[in-house]
Amino acid sequence: MKVEEAPNPLAEGLHDYRVADPAVMVIFGATGDLSGRKLLPALYNLAKQRSLPAGFAVVGTGRDDLTDQAFRKHAADKIHEFSRTQPIDDRVLAALLDSLTYVKVEFSKLEDFKTLAAKLQELDNTRLIPGNRIFYCATPPTTYELIAVQLQAAGLNTSPGFRRIVIEKPFGLDLKSARALTETLHKVFPEDSVYRIDHYLGKETVQNILAFRFANAIFEPVWNTNLIDSVQITVAEDIGLENRGSYYDRTGALRDIVQNHGLQLVALVAMEPPLAFEATAVRDEKVKVLRAIRPLIGEDIEQSTVRGQYAKGWVLGEQVGGYREEPDVAPESPTETFAALRLFIDNWRWAGVPFYIRAGKRLPKRITEIRIQFKRPPHLTFGREAMKEVDPNALTLRIQPEEGISLKFGAKVPSAGLRIRSVTMDFQYMTSFLVEAPEAYERLLLDCMIGDPTLFTRADEVEAAWMFIDPIEESWRNGRPPLGTYPAGMWGPPAAAQLLQADGREWHRP
Amino acid sequence: MTSTVKPDVSPEWHGEDVMIRDVLDALTQIRDKFARAEAGDDEHIHPRNCVMTLIGVAPSEAHEELARRTTLTIGTQHPAQAIVIREEAPIRGRHLDAWITSEVRRSEVACAWQCEIITLHVHGRAAEHLAELVDPLLVSGVPTYLWWLGTPPFGKKELVDALRVCDGLVVDSARFEEPYNSFRRMAALLKVAHHRLGIADVQWARLRPWRESIAQFFTPVERRGFLNGISEIGVDYAGQGRGNRIAAALITGWIAAALGWKLKRAAAGTGGVVVAHYEAGNRFIEVDFRPVEKDHLASGEVSAVRIGGASQGTTFRLSVQHDPVRRPALSEPAYRSLHHAGGEDDAGMELAERRAEWHRDVLHENLDSLHHTATGDPPGESRPKRPRVLTTERRRPDSTRVLLTMIEIGDGAPLRHVQQMEPEDEPALLLDLLSTGTHDDVYNRSLAAASELVDKF
Repeated sequence: MKVEEAPNPLAEGLHDYRVADPAVMVIFGATGDLSGRKLLPALYNLAKQRSLPAGFAVVGTGRDDLTDQAFRKHAADKIHEFSRTQPIDDRVLAALLDSLTYVKVEFSKLEDFKTLAAKLQELDNTRLIPGNRIFYCATPPTTYELIAVQLQAAGLNTSPGFRRIVIEKPFGLDLKSARALTETLHKVFPEDSVYRIDHYLGKETVQNILAFRFANAIFEPVWNTNLIDSVQITVAEDIGLENRGSYYDRTGALRDIVQNHGLQLVALVAMEPPLAFEATAVRDEKVKVLRAIRPLIGEDIEQSTVRGQYAKGWVLGEQVGGYREEPDVAPESPTETFAALRLFIDNWRWAGVPFYIRAGKRLPKRITEIRIQFKRPPHLTFGREAMKEVDPNALTLRIQPEEGISLKFGAKVPSAGLRIRSVTMDFQYMTSFLVEAPEAYERLLLDCMIGDPTLFTRADEVEAAWMFIDPIEESWRNGRPPLGTYPAGMWGPPAAAQLLQADGREWHRP
Repeated sequence: MTSTVKPDVSPEWHGEDVMIRDVLDALTQIRDKFARAEAGDDEHIHPRNCVMTLIGVAPSEAHEELARRTTLTIGTQHPAQAIVIREEAPIRGRHLDAWITSEVRRSEVACAWQCEIITLHVHGRAAEHLAELVDPLLVSGVPTYLWWLGTPPFGKKELVDALRVCDGLVVDSARFEEPYNSFRRMAALLKVAHHRLGIADVQWARLRPWRESIAQFFTPVERRGFLNGISEIGVDYAGQGRGNRIAAALITGWIAAALGWKLKRAAAGTGGVVVAHYEAGNRFIEVDFRPVEKDHLASGEVSAVRIGGASQGTTFRLSVQHDPVRRPALSEPAYRSLHHAGGEDDAGMELAERRAEWHRDVLHENLDSLHHTATGDPPGESRPKRPRVLTTERRRPDSTRVLLTMIEIGDGAPLRHVQQMEPEDEPALLLDLLSTGTHDDVYNRSLAAASELVDKF
């Protein structure tokens, strides 16, 4: 093996320390909300943990006519406000701000992209960067295609180093638009240079699903239809729209959450063991699961899906308005803020096991969890009376906020008689490892700089997810099933509970 | 007379002239009381959460305070059982004095837990049988780490016995008394330790930012070839004497072990200068250690690392400096007449100054002969035979610290990169080591290579 191809021997043993090559990160929409809340603070924290290589530079772009100094001031303010680590270390911040410059770019003007190209060339020369570029689109999804086209026109997709483009969900609004987006991007960047961020995949506890399943021998033998009764996935938010009314009213819970976060969690729970924790192997297995989801068509959709919209109610002790009273929402809006569905995966492992997903806004609390419900024992050795307080075994993978895993099982109640009661065995993620978990964007930005797309969504995953979602979306647009309402602070409309009751089950109270 | 050291918080239990059985009974009661109080009337009792047992062995009152403060800080973030053992404590009875303190932590995202610190004052033969003393207290199924503050009795049966019940030994070689000899004995421990035992050094954790900065330089594929072109390494360290060269030796040992270099010869000259030669295939690499006067550094701390060489016709030079002194720009500093700064910016000034320092290296290389010329003494004879190292001053509380990396490749302009080092913080350094389970093959290899180098001093 040539020395250039071998791993850097000096990097061995530097746990959690992954080094990226020097690069310029261009942030489109650098003065926007995503950049201010997530990207700039994530870059600061990466700098603080010394993960940004010497020479790394950031070029912010936007429509505003800002000087470098003004952009740095903006960045400093946002980092102070939103960084997960506080107080801010002034010397780290100063070093990061030194690497920030700003170029005004209007996406429709090719000249602006040429100015950007000149700036990047200048940075290459002064900061020993071998042409490596990351283009981060922190802009509305409608701009992705135009940005890609202009990058190509300005020759920015042909520098000598690597060139990667990062885009945020949603990746299209349906299968057709997702394919069109992919097609445009592929004219400029090959698929392995397109990084589609679903920030859920950057969460430690989501990655831990794979570790839990495939680093332990004892769970895999029971992880199938023989012993699992059902799987429940809950992605609940207590907040409303938070000034995202115009976006959300066109999107809804199904496309905003279920199509991406929800189905990604299904894929991680249900996938077969990949050959290695490596981008192609992991994503191949996820795609297989997504393609094995039984399509919902016709009457299936009415029987297996529920949609709802919140009305006025109480959340966390405060009275809140209904969805249609939110800013930028149409007064008669039919958009769902709650979606629940039952799906089946048609493969050997999961035949007959229902997966229930529910996601929504203005639910009682913010929580994301996966509950694996096991079957009851085949024979009641201790008799019905002794077992009446025992629930079936259940394994709960809590993604947020109380990250952890708990296993519910029956145990004998200390007494002369024989009574069995359910107890839980808890693993608490945040207190068990003597280290602090990074924020999802820190992980994903570093992965992108290093060139590891394992935790990013591939085009075929996106398409497989839309193939399942599109017929449901179409049916919902035609009013089937009808839109239910629920008071804010409740777990969705009554039909959500009925969806499980019809199967002799009920939602777990998270 | 009992010790004057008392736990910072009121103990839940205290016993004088007691036995371990009494401590265990008290612990059981404290845990039971906590579990029932937390569970309330309706809930089940939550299982006790514990990720490790951390045993701190403190040879003095000051160490005991440090151990208790540190274990409390760690225990309040991560559920753990801590045992602080004060050796040779002045106790009255025949057995031991014990305190149990506990602090309840309530996290927003986890069940409450109780941070327990069991402090044991022992003396006499009991102190020589630490394994038997702590074994009944250990939490089953979680790792046990022995953090020996001060200098462990390397080579003695007492330590080997204590390590029987432990998964890892944590020391701080920057705080050793007689650091030179203790470091060599620690390296020897690698050969006799049981296979489960990990050895971790807080000094190694302090060197992590240096290792990261150096590794980072060679990470881009186009620079990977430079690894085979390294021809010289310079390490500046604070203080004088061979006991202050441990960190420098660890850095060198790390690079040498990672790159498969073989030590051919090394010699220490007067004034703390060391020259070593390594062989890599048909190349030779020269390593120079140089003592520097830096008021803000503790004795033994690394002040700068310089790596230079050439590969396929391209020269490269990497310099990593700890908290470089940023002097106000002078109108015409003397070095600039010899080494043009090429501009008024900081990078230019520092580069010129650094070139001047390299220039001065020539003097250092000839220090022995110059010394001989000036004094008439044979080289090396007039230096103090046993450089005195004041262990109490070896580590200082520090403030903000930065690493300044300067990169020069070919004729290109130098690139300046500033990175922050975390403020030195005992719990953070300890956690860094414990989170890896104290089993670090890279450290073991670096320790062996550093020990080989130190042997030649």
